[in-house]
Amino acid sequence: MNTSISETSGLRPDRLLSVRELFGIDSDLNVPAFSERDDHVPEIDPAYRFNPDVTLAILAGFVRDRRVMVQGLHGTGKSTHIEQVAARLNWPCVRVNLDGHISRLDLVGKDAVVLRDGQQVTEFQEGIVPWALQRPVALVFDEYDAGRPDVMFVIQRILERDGKFTLMDQNKVISPHPFFRLFATANTVGLGNLNGLYHGAQRLNHAQIDRWNIVASLNYLPRDEEIAIVQARVPSLADDAGRELVGAMVSVADLTRKGFAAGDISTLMSPRTVITWAENVEIFREPALAFRLSFVNKCDDAEKRIVAEYFQRCFDREIGESYAAP
Amino acid sequence: MSEAQRRARHQQVVEELCAAAIRALAGDAELHFRARRLHRGRRALPLFAPHLHPSLEHDDFGSFRGAADGLALRLLHSDAPLHERLCPGEPVERLVFELLEQIRVEALVPPGMPGVASNLRHRHAAWSRGLHHAGLTDSARGLLLYTLAQICRARVANEPVLDETEDLLEATRAALAPLIGHALAHLRRDRHDQAAYAAHALQIARTIAQMLHGDGSAPLGEPRDADNTDAERAAFSLLMDLDAQIGERFTSAVSGRSRVLEESADGYRVFTTAYDREQRAAALVRAELLREYREKLDARIAGQGVNVARLARELRALLAQPAHDGWDSVQEEGRIDGRRIAQLISSPTERRLFRSERVEPIADCVVTWLIDCSGSMKEHAESVAMIVDVFVRALEQAGVASEILGFTTGAWNGGRALRDWQRAGRPPNPGRMNEQCHLIFKDADTAWRRARAPIAALLKADLFREGIDGEAVRWAQRRLRERPEARKLLLVVSDGSPMDSATNLANDTHYLDHHLVQEVQRIEQQGDVQVFGVGVGLDLSPYYSASLVLDLAGSTGNQVFRELLEMIAGRHRR
Repeated sequence: MNTSISETSGLRPDRLLSVRELFGIDSDLNVPAFSERDDHVPEIDPAYRFNPDVTLAILAGFVRDRRVMVQGLHGTGKSTHIEQVAARLNWPCVRVNLDGHISRLDLVGKDAVVLRDGQQVTEFQEGIVPWALQRPVALVFDEYDAGRPDVMFVIQRILERDGKFTLMDQNKVISPHPFFRLFATANTVGLGNLNGLYHGAQRLNHAQIDRWNIVASLNYLPRDEEIAIVQARVPSLADDAGRELVGAMVSVADLTRKGFAAGDISTLMSPRTVITWAENVEIFREPALAFRLSFVNKCDDAEKRIVAEYFQRCFDREIGESYAAP
Repeated sequence: MSEAQRRARHQQVVEELCAAAIRALAGDAELHFRARRLHRGRRALPLFAPHLHPSLEHDDFGSFRGAADGLALRLLHSDAPLHERLCPGEPVERLVFELLEQIRVEALVPPGMPGVASNLRHRHAAWSRGLHHAGLTDSARGLLLYTLAQICRARVANEPVLDETEDLLEATRAALAPLIGHALAHLRRDRHDQAAYAAHALQIARTIAQMLHGDGSAPLGEPRDADNTDAERAAFSLLMDLDAQIGERFTSAVSGRSRVLEESADGYRVFTTAYDREQRAAALVRAELLREYREKLDARIAGQGVNVARLARELRALLAQPAHDGWDSVQEEGRIDGRRIAQLISSPTERRLFRSERVEPIADCVVTWLIDCSGSMKEHAESVAMIVDVFVRALEQAGVASEILGFTTGAWNGGRALRDWQRAGRPPNPGRMNEQCHLIFKDADTAWRRARAPIAALLKADLFREGIDGEAVRWAQRRLRERPEARKLLLVVSDGSPMDSATNLANDTHYLDHHLVQEVQRIEQQGDVQVFGVGVGLDLSPYYSASLVLDLAGSTGNQVFRELLEMIAGRHRR
């Protein structure tokens, strides 16, 4: 973060790219992109699969300067999604993980004691918000709903498109850089921890939620896409036999998600769990064993039998936890 | 564990697992089993097809899985209103039509689920074998239906017919081919389109019904050859019982509807309340005897080896909610504590000037145990007393108030109420007729320590007479509603249906059952009291939406308590 303003603030998007070519989405949209890669531009993951709706929402954020919040269950790749879009546009992107202890001072900046010419002097150091605001940077607030609602009012002004930011400690007003962008990801939609899954999620202020122009929901992917993602991540399962195996694994994951929605089990398999399972299959060469190690042992004892039923439906085999097991 | 208890437990587990699988496959959280029948919310679903209802005596777990998967696919792929509209009224046609629709949905196994396909195949084979061995295939008409089921499934699902009966089918198959061959050929092609498929299915159903009715004047199910009457009737009933309730074969509480109660304008009636009593149980037993019972109970509890502290911890985790409970001062961070500002002046290096809010789990909850003290509970009394005593002690450690209530009658066979009724000239439909007796073993304001002796009164066998559950449940709910706690739980421990011979004789058999069902439904709808049925070796799901079969026999250790906790936490859903 020690790049000075003059180095980066001069950058601006200097070419237009076609969404169809870049993301494989059926759309005639062209998006501005940078030709130079800055240090803050994330690495491109060539295997990443873009969800069309969410990608268009994020692109709207980049192109039209909208404030976009991506909401979804854990492990659906919300933050990665924003990062990968930014990576392909060469747009610098900074992720900030919010938690209950982030305070106003962390976000805005504070007076700190620094050494200058061997002397201790107090000097104002900008927080992440004023820093990003003056640069062509996409600022991503991860786990937005973990931030304390009273602190989150700090960003109320900049949620508006031309909202200026007043640094009261400095008697200074900052105008946002024309290519500053703001995103957020959250597990809930600001109504708090309703299903017991997201402990620590705050109830957010709805005057603030209202200022987010676009709320994209990234929930679990269609079956074929999820299979393709897992195969892309675990190349040893990329053949036809692998596709059948991954198909069964994705079906188990789907049953756990529906079982969770019905209240039968309290843990569910995210796409991340499926990928971990597939990677563990590579290590252990045995889907059932890998399944136990990557998911079953995370479940409550009373629920293991139900998970064993799901596994039987998709693999036509028993695991040790099953009621039918000898 | 007794055989009946073991089977009831087995049934509970099987239903839990199958219901969970159905909910996940069909993606519908409202589905559950109640009295062995699939319900959506409060409504029972149709029976769909004969092979979807395996029996615990004859069928293995695999069959239950297959049936569960069949039900789930039916709910997932079949449009119920469309099916209802197309369904013919004539019984044979209807049977065939239902069967064909089920065969259609079973051919639509979602991709990536070979286990579902294999469960369905297993169930179909087991069902076919069962019909074959029950003698259905011995008569010409039975064989016709059997063959139809086999070849249609083979065609639509594209799977071979059952090896064992393949040769048997040949002749009938050849006879059927010219009649339904055309429609049959279209079934597989149209399996994704319910309406188009139904057109062919209706045609087949009509043809089969004509064949069955055409070759004899006797109505279906009454075979012409006298020698195999019974076998064929039994086998047909296996096939045809689509409208009937599935038989309550065993260990499920026997419940039914009461015409007297349904038709009576003023609802449930009580003939006389003159002899009803509400008593403290300790007053009915001599003090010396109570002491003796208490020693016996303590010995039993000691032998059980229950970890009460752990149970209390688990109960607290389950029932308590974090709440503000005062302040912690002398903190290094938090809000400034005004009382310590003077200290800042006098001792500037001391930095612990802050205070923070203390958050403690607080259980704002009351639990009532309502124990059925009917005659049959005598043998379980000691176990129940043990469980209740330990639970109440743990609840108290967790800061939860608890009550122990019981219900029985003051006399056998109606007592003085019956005598009054006879004197009054036996008016019809008198309603409940016995001396109701409600017992209080421990109320919510009494501490466990003071209630030790009264709880032991549960061991007094001659208090146990008959049981009028409905009114008792209402009484317990009323007591709970008077309590200030926010969360109220009512656990009803029972080993059978309500029983009072005089009432049942004077009204009709299910008078008290029906009232219990009504009362529990009312409480569940009002929602301020959560009610659970704890069956002692008996499935109480006909009465209670949330119920558990408890295994009391022998050394149960901590298992029973864990299951009760899981039930309160909302697990063990059927």
